[in-house]
Amino acid sequence: MLDRLRENHLAGFLSVAGGLLFWELVSRLLVANALFLAAPSQIVYAIYQLALTGELGRHIAISSVEFIIGYLIAAVIGIAFGFGMASSVRCKQALQPWISGFYATPTIALAPLFILWFGIGIWSKVLVVIFLVLFPVTINTEAGLRTTSDRLIEMLKSFGASPSQIFFKVSLPSALPFILAGLKLGIGRGLIGVVVAELFGSRAGLGRLISQSADAFNMPELFAGVIVLAIAGIAMTAGFGWLEKRLVPWTKD
Amino acid sequence: MARKLEITALSKWFGELEALRSIDIAVETGEFISVVGPSGCGKTTFLRMVAGLEPSTSGTIVMDGKPLAGPGGNRGFVFQNDSLLPWRTVLSNALIGPEVAGKVGANERQRTLDLLQLVGLGGFENYYPRQLSGGMRQRVNLARALAIDPDVLLMDEPFASLDAQTREIMQTELLRIWEQGRKTVLFVTHQIDEAVFLSDRVLVFARRPGRLQESVEIKLPRPRSLAIKRTSEFIAYVDHIWTMIEHDVRAAVIDEHV
Repeated sequence: MLDRLRENHLAGFLSVAGGLLFWELVSRLLVANALFLAAPSQIVYAIYQLALTGELGRHIAISSVEFIIGYLIAAVIGIAFGFGMASSVRCKQALQPWISGFYATPTIALAPLFILWFGIGIWSKVLVVIFLVLFPVTINTEAGLRTTSDRLIEMLKSFGASPSQIFFKVSLPSALPFILAGLKLGIGRGLIGVVVAELFGSRAGLGRLISQSADAFNMPELFAGVIVLAIAGIAMTAGFGWLEKRLVPWTKD
Repeated sequence: MARKLEITALSKWFGELEALRSIDIAVETGEFISVVGPSGCGKTTFLRMVAGLEPSTSGTIVMDGKPLAGPGGNRGFVFQNDSLLPWRTVLSNALIGPEVAGKVGANERQRTLDLLQLVGLGGFENYYPRQLSGGMRQRVNLARALAIDPDVLLMDEPFASLDAQTREIMQTELLRIWEQGRKTVLFVTHQIDEAVFLSDRVLVFARRPGRLQESVEIKLPRPRSLAIKRTSEFIAYVDHIWTMIEHDVRAAVIDEHV
């Protein structure tokens, strides 16, 4: 068991360990200036310190609330929009230009505007997250429902199935992998939304931690915020991979 | 024997293209009928019209004295590709017919389990389609059609995607299963030997427009084993049908390559 784990992850482990070592050396010997770069060991210590004072927990809590509320709202609306667009031509015609337009626009640039409208509290960030997550979810849901195999639909028709039976027994399950892919895409975008919106103006949150550390030239704390975000992103994406294996095992192997 | 199906002046146009011209066929209860012909002769369209998956342009299909309109539980369709739902187990796939009809009780479950046993899939109930070979998937396809206990089984080139050996095995298996229930079967294929081996009657279709050229009665004794394919009577039937459609097949092949 342990042998296999070593076998499978040896190259990855060595690569990451080597990279960290390189970073540590560059930071301590080459740059050797705490105002420009922090070494991994200093970052770990900073994370420990921030966790100890409870400051890190506070920032994480705020950012998490913003992310979760925005993400859930976007997921629900996005899936609903996708369903609407897939089932009604009118609905698709009405929504398509907006979806395409907003998806292509870097809506994150609207963050300062949202802060102006809704203040520096959590709701301006929630709105940014919604805008970033909504469109990939909508587009994927619609595409998933539209690509349902005609053969499977015909098979169900041959048994005299009604349109709603066809939807629930074929279209929905075959769209599920696409919907999950859209939601997975939304994780990264949502995290970016939270942080960038917080950078523009906030009282707390990981973005706030990063910007105030930058202002104070506190590199270890700046990197602490970045590392925590990276871990959150990796963990959530991995969690989604696990969920996909559970929910849509037929798309794997 | 009682009439199961009475097909009268059945025609089909796809826009400007005449796909089928005035087909008249009477099918007896329990009869095994194959339809052969070159590609483009409308044999699959014919089967789909009987299934109710394709509307006819004119003509009637009467089953047990009642005209047919649309798909229904009295006909089971076996598709060329297995069309199994990848997220369902073998048993759950086979039960889709009763499920659509809104009656999945202990009886249906047991009946379907027995059918899976019959098609040689006992013990595979909880497998997923991706874990099965092509031949096994076609067996599920067959069990699924039988699970609604249809009066008529409609089969659209069900063994076309299988390799030659598996196909021969599946032919004998199909006959074994058919001997036990004696359902009325309409079987579309492009394999002449397959049609002769399985059938009481082979309907030979011609193309441009698709039409019934000849109905060949196969007077080979039943039950049949694969050895019958080497008898001179069998070969004579295959030869007879092949000469009938050879010209059409050549024309179809050239058409497809231009």
